[in-house]
Amino acid sequence: MTDSDRRFPRSVYRHGDEPDARFSLANERTFLAWIRTSLALLAGGVALETLGLGLQPDLRLAASVLLIVTGILTPIQAWLGWTRSERALRMNRPLPAAHLALPLGIVVIVVGVLVLLGIVLA
Amino acid sequence: MSGGLDGTAPGEEFDDRGARPFDPGLQPERTALAWRRTALALVVAAVVGIRVLPTLLGDWAMIPAGAGLVLAVIVLLASHRRYREHHVRLTTSTSDRIALPDGALPALVAATTLAAGIACAVVVVVLALGV
Repeated sequence: MTDSDRRFPRSVYRHGDEPDARFSLANERTFLAWIRTSLALLAGGVALETLGLGLQPDLRLAASVLLIVTGILTPIQAWLGWTRSERALRMNRPLPAAHLALPLGIVVIVVGVLVLLGIVLA
Repeated sequence: MSGGLDGTAPGEEFDDRGARPFDPGLQPERTALAWRRTALALVVAAVVGIRVLPTLLGDWAMIPAGAGLVLAVIVLLASHRRYREHHVRLTTSTSDRIALPDGALPALVAATTLAAGIACAVVVVVLALGV
């Protein structure tokens, strides 16, 4: 790294050295996958409420809120995960864990159960 | 930039490094495609927002929805430039320590997606309250 390196964010680029470019590109793709996950969760949440689909209303609303809250958290995970991974790559350290991966899986299961109950109890 | 793929006979060495992919695994190209599908998803989300938000919340909601579409198109164009920048830096550098474009565009995309999420939350709250 040089003193003339003004790249954003400083919390990443003031550490370490340039990693293998392919690792940085893979990190970028992981970031983008989280962003698309967020958009898919949000689309599901809004679609449930706007289309109705004849589900039991309370369960439908619970599923929708759960999807949207998770869809708001995932871009934050995307950005923090990208910065932490890029910093780890620059410092030749182990990559951080994706802390939101397990909760995300659980949320999708719970939403599936809520929608199923919403159909059965409608 | 002469001597590209078209002008090179089979088996002949590329005389121009910029005409050759950086990586046989095509990492910059795969990253460019990931950017493109993400940017197109944002464009679709913004267009849906333009259709849904004003009818639900009032005419003022056209302003954030329109801003979302402008941002999504900016992301689409900027990601195209980002790929060109990746390709040029990776194929012309003689060092194996290559500085790539920074995190400004990812930060913009994360912020735009977060804003879209807040808009979705508003939509669901308004629908649930039956306002």
